Amino acid sequence: MRKAFDWWWGIALAFSLLAAMRAFLPLPFVNEILIFSIYAIGCSFLLGRVGFISFGQPAYLAIGAYGTAFYLFYFGTNPYIGILAGLASGFIAALIVGPLFVRLRSDYFALVNLALAVIVFFLMQKVLAPITKGDNGLWFLTNMTSTPVLDITRPSQFFVFAFIVGLAIWAFYKYLDDTLFGACCLATKINEDKLQFLGYSNFSIRLAAFVIANTTTALAGSLYAVYIGAVSPEITSPARAADPVVVILLGGAGTLYGPIVGSIAYTGMKDVISKLIGNWEMIIGPLLVIIMLAGEKGIWGTLEPWLKTLLFRNKSVVPQKNSSIEGN
Amino acid sequence: MNTGSNLLDVEGLSVSYGSAKVLFDIALTVGPSQIVACVGRNGAGKTTLLKCIAGFLKPVAGSITASAASLVGLPPYDIAKLGVKYIPQDKKVFSDLTVRENLELGSYATKDYNWEPVTTYFPKLKTLMDRKAGYLSGGERQMLMIGRAILGNPKVLLVDEPTEGLAPSIVSHLKNVFRELSKKSALIIVEQNLPLVCAISDKIYAMNDGRIVAELANEASIRVEVCEQYL
Repeated sequence: MRKAFDWWWGIALAFSLLAAMRAFLPLPFVNEILIFSIYAIGCSFLLGRVGFISFGQPAYLAIGAYGTAFYLFYFGTNPYIGILAGLASGFIAALIVGPLFVRLRSDYFALVNLALAVIVFFLMQKVLAPITKGDNGLWFLTNMTSTPVLDITRPSQFFVFAFIVGLAIWAFYKYLDDTLFGACCLATKINEDKLQFLGYSNFSIRLAAFVIANTTTALAGSLYAVYIGAVSPEITSPARAADPVVVILLGGAGTLYGPIVGSIAYTGMKDVISKLIGNWEMIIGPLLVIIMLAGEKGIWGTLEPWLKTLLFRNKSVVPQKNSSIEGN
Repeated sequence: MNTGSNLLDVEGLSVSYGSAKVLFDIALTVGPSQIVACVGRNGAGKTTLLKCIAGFLKPVAGSITASAASLVGLPPYDIAKLGVKYIPQDKKVFSDLTVRENLELGSYATKDYNWEPVTTYFPKLKTLMDRKAGYLSGGERQMLMIGRAILGNPKVLLVDEPTEGLAPSIVSHLKNVFRELSKKSALIIVEQNLPLVCAISDKIYAMNDGRIVAELANEASIRVEVCEQYL
């Protein structure tokens, strides 16, 4: 019972706080945080666990968003199926480019993903303009039909849906963290040669991580598309390439809750500061530098050890991870 | 020579780093339950030899066979799956993973979840299971690396300078461990510690400037003063 509590307490607490935020904060703000957090967690997994920094996440976000948009604009009206279409688009795209990209060193990986974001932007804005409607975008808000149980065409019920999806994603990434695959990802980041000497293929591990992370990003794109009811090439603008990276560095790269904390901080600062001054980025930038210099690990990365000490200070040891393999 | 009973046969092996040739026509054999040592000065090519056998470097000439299977051209993870495991010199473990997780990595790749031999050879690891490997001492890391490598009962262990920087008590313990390990796995040990090498080895290859300059295979020749002639 205690081990189950250890596993779930963090996720339950984080999402309880998110649910509580709904009571105090505007609905659009909380929906944006949820979508952004899902957008960021894939990037956080790639950077924190596998050691790949990606400036191309807008590409996968756009692929997911446009996958959903194409379905809802041209083919159907069910937003659930639209989301599945976007998810599948992201999965397939990651499977296609992954075998090429994951062979690269982390610096080249970052650049090639940025190049992909530029390519996708150009494709959606110019090359495929006859079907994407170029800069005007695809508008399908009125195409979508109400869905049973939860009508996700309504923002308040979309929040509930996105909340459940977010909870499922965090549980999945928590599970991944605790599995051997999570350990393999970290090991390939720490020392890929040593992992080969144990009998593991770094390529297979990286490819799997790449597909998982970018499919998650595509899911965020799908959710964004359904929530807004429209998609334009702006979603994959190269100017926004650093957004998820900034969020995860702010929150804590590689940590489970860093993307949520980073999204709240980033979105909150953007919303608050932009009301005071026009160029809010001029404040965010130096603030980010200060936070990095002060903590290096981001907000959650810095707070997490303190919280653990606070919560478990009466115990002789920190609770051990649940492992199915016991030594003698 | 190539005998069917050998676990590892290296013949005519040459390795280059770019245009610089570093190993010249190396030949060595390892039989079942043998401890074979490679000794030589720094830069003799000992680590290069092990890395080449492990698949980290590709030879420009020659052959490497393990129980009749050619290892040349195979990636390191496939060579590891064939039962030839390399324990590098640098004592770097997966520092952000616990000891338990490091061993689980070894277990999953080999489907060998019996950790009893590991904790029998290295009882101290039992008390360190939940400690992050990055916080282990040098000796403890070496124990972990060897323990992780012996999971799956490898046929050949390639051990690169295992006693470098370790306390005499740990060196003595490792000497006994290697003797026990050789009952199940053959070992190729690269070492600078001549007394250790002479105490446990069945055969010693002396290397100099990328060449094997001597093969010492009998009790009379496996002595420190004989080995020193080639250093």
